Amino acid sequence: MNRLVRRFFASILLVWAVFTLTFFLSRWAPGSPFQGERKLPPEIMRSILSYYHLDRPLSVQYWEALKKTATGDWGSSFKNPGIRVSDVIGQALPVSLTLGGVALLESLIVALVLGTWMALAREPVKGILRALSALEVALPSFLLAALLIDLFSVRLGLLPPALWNGWRSVLLPSFAMAIAPSGYLARLFATSLEETIRSPHYQAARGRGIRPFRLLLSHGWLLSLNAVVSILGPVSASFLTGSFVVESLFAIPGIGRVFVLSVTNRDYPLIMGTTLVYTMFLVGMTLLGDLIGEWIDPRVRAL
Amino acid sequence: MSRLPFVLPDRRPGLQRVLGFSGVLFFSLLVVLSLLPSAWTGLDPVAQDTRFVLAPPGTSGHLLGCDFLGRDNLSRLVSGSTVSLFIGVCVGLFSTLIGAFWGLLSGYRGGMFDTVLMRLLEVWYALPELLIATILMLALGHGIFAVVVALSIGGWMGVARVVRGETLKIREQAYLEAARSIGASPLRLVFRHFLPNLLPVLFVLLLFRIPGGILGESTLSFLGLGLSPPASSWGTLVNEGWKALPLTPWILAFPAVLIVLALLAFQWFGESLGKRWLG
Repeated sequence: MNRLVRRFFASILLVWAVFTLTFFLSRWAPGSPFQGERKLPPEIMRSILSYYHLDRPLSVQYWEALKKTATGDWGSSFKNPGIRVSDVIGQALPVSLTLGGVALLESLIVALVLGTWMALAREPVKGILRALSALEVALPSFLLAALLIDLFSVRLGLLPPALWNGWRSVLLPSFAMAIAPSGYLARLFATSLEETIRSPHYQAARGRGIRPFRLLLSHGWLLSLNAVVSILGPVSASFLTGSFVVESLFAIPGIGRVFVLSVTNRDYPLIMGTTLVYTMFLVGMTLLGDLIGEWIDPRVRAL
Repeated sequence: MSRLPFVLPDRRPGLQRVLGFSGVLFFSLLVVLSLLPSAWTGLDPVAQDTRFVLAPPGTSGHLLGCDFLGRDNLSRLVSGSTVSLFIGVCVGLFSTLIGAFWGLLSGYRGGMFDTVLMRLLEVWYALPELLIATILMLALGHGIFAVVVALSIGGWMGVARVVRGETLKIREQAYLEAARSIGASPLRLVFRHFLPNLLPVLFVLLLFRIPGGILGESTLSFLGLGLSPPASSWGTLVNEGWKALPLTPWILAFPAVLIVLALLAFQWFGESLGKRWLG
């Protein structure tokens, strides 16, 4: 319990540090949210800057932003005045979570099946499966997405090429996102499963005459699952970043697109909001992965 | 733009040697190809010839056809390969160097210092990679230099973690205690004992980082956040090919095949070296 509380506070500190870094990084980048095609007269520019408190010293701005963010007020967008950051994120996040969740599920299923097969297969097949998983890792998601759109939407007309309407538009982007991580996870799982199979407890269970299926499932599989679960945090966070690319390609109104747009527009409140959501997600998922990992294999806790 | 932890290779016979060899072979082929750009075609990769807009492969004088501005695909591909490989190797080198420095410092000093460095690394790791890259690109312009800096600064954390772990292992070795007990200076310890023993790991990490750099560049450029248009790289070529896809699928196919092959080659090369050296 004590440990959990400590981790919780460490996570809050981490989020604060990310907030600080993002704040200064985004202000450091050249450009301003109010630079449009047309040059604004200096007095109007000045009044806009003073309205948003952008004419004050950076330290003052930082304290204001920190106080506001900590009390749950994430402000409103600079680029589209009146639209609250929390509303933008509230609309975009469910989309990205659905997409990322489906992609995570797909890649886990592929990884576990491929990984198990890889660990159990004999040499020629094993080599082919390894090469296959390497190929998966080497396929950039944007390339796969482009090919999928061309094949299934343009040529065959089976699935929508873009936008977000119903379950049919989840299939292509989630698949494009799932392939590379699934190859990576499959290798990780296979290596771990091979190790478990070589271990004494597995061989002992085999010696006791436990049926192959049960043996594999409860003596091999469950323990090896830890290799996958322990990197659940970075993996699921990479689904959120992976979605930055795939979402722009499929024109999906998710958090990735909001993020890319906010950075190119220097929409400071929106940059802060999306980055914080990403960080909290990463931290939360890492914690969850560690907890599940400990539950599966209590030996991890001793480390 | 993967930030997943490195999987150091496991023991495995057979196919390994063949794959490693083919990786090296393809890698050297790419290097030769990209070191002699103009010798291949003699055509300017940015020269436009309106007579050949979207010409198919096999057109006389343009072996791989031309793009939507009538630029020769082959010469764009060759000069793009040079750029992408250069960026990949630079990103690999710099991010490995930063990571090695950070990890070595952290593992060698230990204690509070180690804790602070590792916490800082976690903060950097918790920032979205694309945020770091985009902001640095905005600050530094859209040239090759900017891409290298952005990707190196965004991608050294995995290296630092591995190097720190290896350093901690070396610290426990008897030869290190022996060196320390006869009064070797810290500098001597680092250069005569830590670095030589870290070298194989560093080289393998470098080989894993290079494809990371190539992939990062192509992703950024494909999104339009990387190199700006007249320049060619695998990323910008894929971007242009993607825009003309229904009409002329081959424009996308050439750079796409090269990216996948290059990533595979480095992966196999790195894995077979890793197996030999780190086993």
